Amino acid sequence: MSWLANLTQTYNNNILSVGRFETKKNGREYALIPVSHTTQTAHIEVHLDGKGNFSTAYVRDKVEGSTIIPCTEAAASRTSAPVPYPLFDKLLYVAGDFVQFCGDVKGTPYEDYLAQLKAWCDSSYSHEKVQSVYEYVRKGTLIADLVAEGILHVDEQGKLRDKWAPAPSQEASEKPPIFNVLASDQSSAFVRFAVNIPGDPEARLWRDIEVQQLFVQFYESSLVDMDICYVTGEILPVADKHTSRIRHSGDKSKLISANDSVGFTYRGRFRTSREAASVSYMASQKGHNALKWLIDRQGITIDGKVFVVWGNQRLDLPEPHQDALELREAAQELEDYDEDREFEEDFDVDAYGDNSSNSGNPAPAGDTTSKAFAREIKKAIDGYRYDGEHYAHITIMVLDAATPGRMSITYYQDLNHEDYLDRLEKWHTSCYWQHRYRKDKDNHWTTFTGAPATRDIAFAAYGPRASDKLVKGLMERILPCIIEVGRELPRDIVRSAVQRASNPVGMETWEWEKTLSIACALVNKENEKEGFDVGLNTETTDRSYLFGRMLAIADVLERRALGREEKRASNAIRYMNAFAQRPGRTWSIIQSNLQPYQAKMGTDARYYNSLLDEVGAMLNLEDYTDKPLTGLYLLGFYSQRNDLYTSKKAKEATGTSDTQQGEDNDTQEEN
Amino acid sequence: MRNQIEFKVYGNYALFTDPMTKLGGEKFSYQVPTYQALKGIVESIYWKPTIIWFVDEVRIVKPIQTESKGMRPIEYNGGNTLAYYTYLKDVCYQVKAHFRFNPHREDLAYDRNEHKHHNIAKRAVNVGGRRDIFLGTRECQAYVEPCLFGEGEGAYDKVPEIDFGTMVHGMNYPDETGRNEREVRLWRAKMYNGIIRFDRPEECTLVRSIGEGTSKAFHTDNMKSVDELHDEWFEGRDTV
Repeated sequence: MSWLANLTQTYNNNILSVGRFETKKNGREYALIPVSHTTQTAHIEVHLDGKGNFSTAYVRDKVEGSTIIPCTEAAASRTSAPVPYPLFDKLLYVAGDFVQFCGDVKGTPYEDYLAQLKAWCDSSYSHEKVQSVYEYVRKGTLIADLVAEGILHVDEQGKLRDKWAPAPSQEASEKPPIFNVLASDQSSAFVRFAVNIPGDPEARLWRDIEVQQLFVQFYESSLVDMDICYVTGEILPVADKHTSRIRHSGDKSKLISANDSVGFTYRGRFRTSREAASVSYMASQKGHNALKWLIDRQGITIDGKVFVVWGNQRLDLPEPHQDALELREAAQELEDYDEDREFEEDFDVDAYGDNSSNSGNPAPAGDTTSKAFAREIKKAIDGYRYDGEHYAHITIMVLDAATPGRMSITYYQDLNHEDYLDRLEKWHTSCYWQHRYRKDKDNHWTTFTGAPATRDIAFAAYGPRASDKLVKGLMERILPCIIEVGRELPRDIVRSAVQRASNPVGMETWEWEKTLSIACALVNKENEKEGFDVGLNTETTDRSYLFGRMLAIADVLERRALGREEKRASNAIRYMNAFAQRPGRTWSIIQSNLQPYQAKMGTDARYYNSLLDEVGAMLNLEDYTDKPLTGLYLLGFYSQRNDLYTSKKAKEATGTSDTQQGEDNDTQEEN
Repeated sequence: MRNQIEFKVYGNYALFTDPMTKLGGEKFSYQVPTYQALKGIVESIYWKPTIIWFVDEVRIVKPIQTESKGMRPIEYNGGNTLAYYTYLKDVCYQVKAHFRFNPHREDLAYDRNEHKHHNIAKRAVNVGGRRDIFLGTRECQAYVEPCLFGEGEGAYDKVPEIDFGTMVHGMNYPDETGRNEREVRLWRAKMYNGIIRFDRPEECTLVRSIGEGTSKAFHTDNMKSVDELHDEWFEGRDTV
């Protein structure tokens, strides 16, 4: 379905959420705004009675002040020319005594506001409470009333003060609240009204669904310009201007705009933008409001680029950018929604022991075998599969603006719900490796197997100081590889990650380990058909893989010989970069440097030596050259190293080995 | 079917601009080609004012994927601006189309030799079209090859129905309608098992008028007749 039709449908499917404020984790409120409405922050709340008499007023701060206000097309895109909102607005429009307190104004904002409100009151869509507001505002005493109430403050000349400057006599008095909520002077305060009518529980006009609906009907009835709508295909009142502020409240970019005074966009066959396309007011409002709501609710924004994924049956879905750990945690939350987590934590003995030390948590035993991990991923994704929703579909949309003012849909996919989940599962079970760089939700270092988050891929490929611009570009390029069939990973990203992983000397150990495991995941995905696994592959005779194994053995041998206290990098690690470029020559250097350690370990080195011989024997003679290694050597390195440590751990478990080896393991895992 | 051609058209990118996004200049492609875009491709393969091409069906062979590119469109004053165009990526379509004689071209009645036009059209498909082919916009170069409509596997063979909603169908020009008016047709596009069957242009009920126009006059002086062209291409060989 076309993007706007899709969004309009999303609006209609979530009609029950319209006008309801929800709170995000960070405390910010968002809502699916009704048609013909927008949001504003009100500073002053005026309470009236049913007859249009002033009763009281309050100052509202930013959190309390978020208000859904009725809005016309003209008002929505007002700039310097005064165009009033229909019901709530700034003092400039609402106060009849504005000139008296603030000086001259351009145009006739108050009269325009009054005329607009009167038209609503005179129509058949009027409401008792709106009438009351009209009656009150008509008197033109708003600022005077607010000054009398102590909300607004005047200076000696009887004008509104620009800023708070306590007179010497009242120095002790506190700064009035109105100056705390306003960024500029008092005349820019935004006013909203509440009308208290005995027997009516909802005094707040901006929360009154009935008033909202009446305005929608009133405004729709005033639209007379009809045309064919390119979204619905019906003949409906058309929108002249379309909404901005889609990504955030300060965003002026529009998805639909018309600017052929400068660029060759539609002129030629068409003379006016209207000839080129027309969109109905309802479709535009619903679609844009739904998009804003989705972005607020579940969008990810990086450097202005917005990624949003939603389903038409259920909004919440696993994100393509999550790593496997987040995916599993989200699925778990879905599962035990009301389970008391605090209770669990109280009895988690490990939680106390590990909090202070930074060392790695032991990996869950089953986690490293590929089958067990694939099961985990499947379980996590299956949590989002529901019966009887085979026809549900999901939409992935990426928005970005190249220039301020115009926004573009830079990626759009409309997929079947099941297909989407299948592809996510495929991604997490093909671009995977064992990672140790993440903390879980209880803030413990954890080992997880699966796909890394796209953001982490960006840091692995471009370094931890990669700019947001780079990260967002990479995220958009990786996205198709996750959710489309048969897309290969971009070569440059894999190569870049492999190159960075081959240069451990330039990084802190934890950073290198992170880069290494992510590079392994990418290489594994690239060589998907070969079916490599975290577990050591002793069968393969791939040249790069074998060289990687040899490097790992050399590393482990030297580490053991150095002992736990010695933190310096082994020869294998130091020569890694050169080794990847010229393995034949560099190996002879590493091997000769290894001799003292072999000598130091004496008979303890026998196992490693025989292992080296074994691996070396598998290498074909003609492969022992200086041809640069492919990314596969990282897999060989990781798997061999992992194997050497875990096999010792297993020995430890049977009680036959020395403690030194176990500690070695810790040194490696330490981040 | 008589007068029918079948062909495959494919390319790395396609941009069938959604008119809503065109107004501002950040072009975004429709998910599937419009009737008019395919008609343009058929006309690039072979066209003469004597005939009107009708696109019957299109089969979407590859999955619908999008990719955006940064563009530097030229402005009237000669400068540049920056925009993101979103293209369809790696597309392949199978198209079935047929021609009829243009009833509003009585002046070209002498050029109506169905058999010869059909043979020339089939030959033009075999050689990849008489003029260059592009998918929606000029920068999306495409290639035409003969094919059997429906052959091979398609990405949407097993998808019973996809509704693309209201889309532009095409444009009405004076030389094909007989009215001195330009019009835009809209329709509700639906795909069944990967195949979109287009409504006939005259069956489209959603039509917007967008201005006046007239048709160009053709005669023997500015157009080569089908007999001449047929002789030139087939040199009297049997073409059946």
